[in-house]
Amino acid sequence: MTIDPGALVPLAVTLESLTDPDFWVSVGVLAGIYAIVALGLQLNTGFTGIVNFGMAAFMAIGAYTMAILVIKAGFSFWLSLPLAVGTSMLFGVLVGLPSLRLRADYFAIATIAMAEVVRLFAQNARELTGGNQGLFCDLDNPSNCYPDTWNSISESINEFVTNFWSDPPTLLPLLLVIWVTVGLATLALTYLQRAPWGRVLRAIREDEDAAQALGKNTLAFKLQSLAIAAVLGSIAGFFLALDLRTVHPLDFEPLVTFFAFSVLILGGMGSYRGVAVGAVLFWFVLEGTRFIDLPDPPFTETRIASVRLAITGLLLIGLMAFRPQGLFGKRQEMVLGE
Amino acid sequence: MNDQATNGRGLLEVEDVVKRFGGIRAVDGATMRIGAGRITALIGPNGAGKTTLFNVLTGFYRSDRGSVTFDGRQILGESPHAIARRGMVRTFQITKALAAMPVIDNMMLAAPEQPGERLRNLVLRPGAARAREREVREQAMELLGIFNLTDLAEAYAGTLSGGQRKLLELARALMAQPKLLLLDEPMAGINPTLVARLLDHMQMLRRDRGVTILFIEHDMEVVMNHSDRVVVMAEGRVIAEGEPDEVRADRRVIDAYLGEVAADTAVGEKPPA
Repeated sequence: MTIDPGALVPLAVTLESLTDPDFWVSVGVLAGIYAIVALGLQLNTGFTGIVNFGMAAFMAIGAYTMAILVIKAGFSFWLSLPLAVGTSMLFGVLVGLPSLRLRADYFAIATIAMAEVVRLFAQNARELTGGNQGLFCDLDNPSNCYPDTWNSISESINEFVTNFWSDPPTLLPLLLVIWVTVGLATLALTYLQRAPWGRVLRAIREDEDAAQALGKNTLAFKLQSLAIAAVLGSIAGFFLALDLRTVHPLDFEPLVTFFAFSVLILGGMGSYRGVAVGAVLFWFVLEGTRFIDLPDPPFTETRIASVRLAITGLLLIGLMAFRPQGLFGKRQEMVLGE
Repeated sequence: MNDQATNGRGLLEVEDVVKRFGGIRAVDGATMRIGAGRITALIGPNGAGKTTLFNVLTGFYRSDRGSVTFDGRQILGESPHAIARRGMVRTFQITKALAAMPVIDNMMLAAPEQPGERLRNLVLRPGAARAREREVREQAMELLGIFNLTDLAEAYAGTLSGGQRKLLELARALMAQPKLLLLDEPMAGINPTLVARLLDHMQMLRRDRGVTILFIEHDMEVVMNHSDRVVVMAEGRVIAEGEPDEVRADRRVIDAYLGEVAADTAVGEKPPA
């Protein structure tokens, strides 16, 4: 496997990277991936009132299905994408059918359990997933390799970009594709939310009994909401696989879902526009704090890593104190929704 | 639609319905018949099983025994949304206004047959959804006008007063185009002027729209003056059924219901309004 130096940039803590476009592009890639995940959470938690702690599972299923189909089964990269989305959606429906009948808080517990089951399965089904080694390209058979397919797409995009920018960052094409996806998903979800379909979801969020009493099959709507979130999760999953060039169980820990929830809360519940802003803010604060120059000792490298998380946490606490509805949320809806 | 009334059959026929919670029989063999086009009051002391019966009829509780026929069909065991779509629409004792949604959205939500509630239609024929939305908005505004809520159409339902919420819930239930309305204490906690208006609305609905109404009520004056029939429940059973005057004179009712109220007041407990 050849390691692309661009992929390692976020791990390199050097002051030079403060002005390095490669670094910021890779932060933008992460922000975009989390924006897609948080859009799914916005649909579920912000608009349907179902607390979904299992987005990491949908990401994992998207990433692993794509990687397994391409690397192990020799499918084409393009065919693997719809199959991965379909698998994740089907999984969402199968999980939702029994668990969406549970009360909101028990559903949340069920989803986090589901996400851990998926991750632990990936860790242990070594034949299929490569276990803790992760899945990456088969050097003996380089034609069956999704990064290769992606590399050639990526190169042709960057060739086009050189018309305007002489030396574009390696990850720039991925950044563009991801943010176009964020934009399209935001538009599509906003359309659905303003339609009668979205009105039923909001009614379920407010009071599921009232929605049922007015003739709405609330379980069906909640399933649809979860299935769409599963689709978004799987798309974010294969973007993450393209970014990291491997698929590894550690990339799908529950922390991923909780980072996405932080993005959601920053942007504001009940606003799709807020998600993109929240994602950029969250990741630029989390990554930007790498450059805070603190004396060593006492601030060793590992301590600085904790300080960064603490700063991000303080940002969230401050926001909750002064603007509890988030940047784009509607305060009145939050207060009345209680 | 109302030919069943002329046949003398009930729009709603409840037979021997039992609902147990552990050892308690909240509804213990209730039987009643609700005639089409009538306003029927369901009365009884606290704990008689009135609200529980409503919950069984509308599918929110699963009954342990019995049969419920609505509009000629057995509906027991169907889910709440399916029953609502058949035309039996309820309101709740504690109003369930969808607080963080505008009043107009509360109303439009309730309209049946909106193709825009299906994802497939939103992609394939968005025009159908929009056309229906226009229709539904017009209906909603008309009803809000009747209920004097026009000025509040864009306000969040959570900002309405208790009485306004009761009106909104009734108006919203009407958007669902019910054949039978089940109202759980529609007058509770609202001021006398609004009570008078609600009663007018109930009469108007029956007269102009042919809606059958079954309502739970504690105020005897309202019950005696504004209903065509009265059903009396006590301890999970129906103990009397008939015209208001008949029921008023019924010995069992006086014993079970009025006696209870008298006993309650005697120990200093006022029954809730």
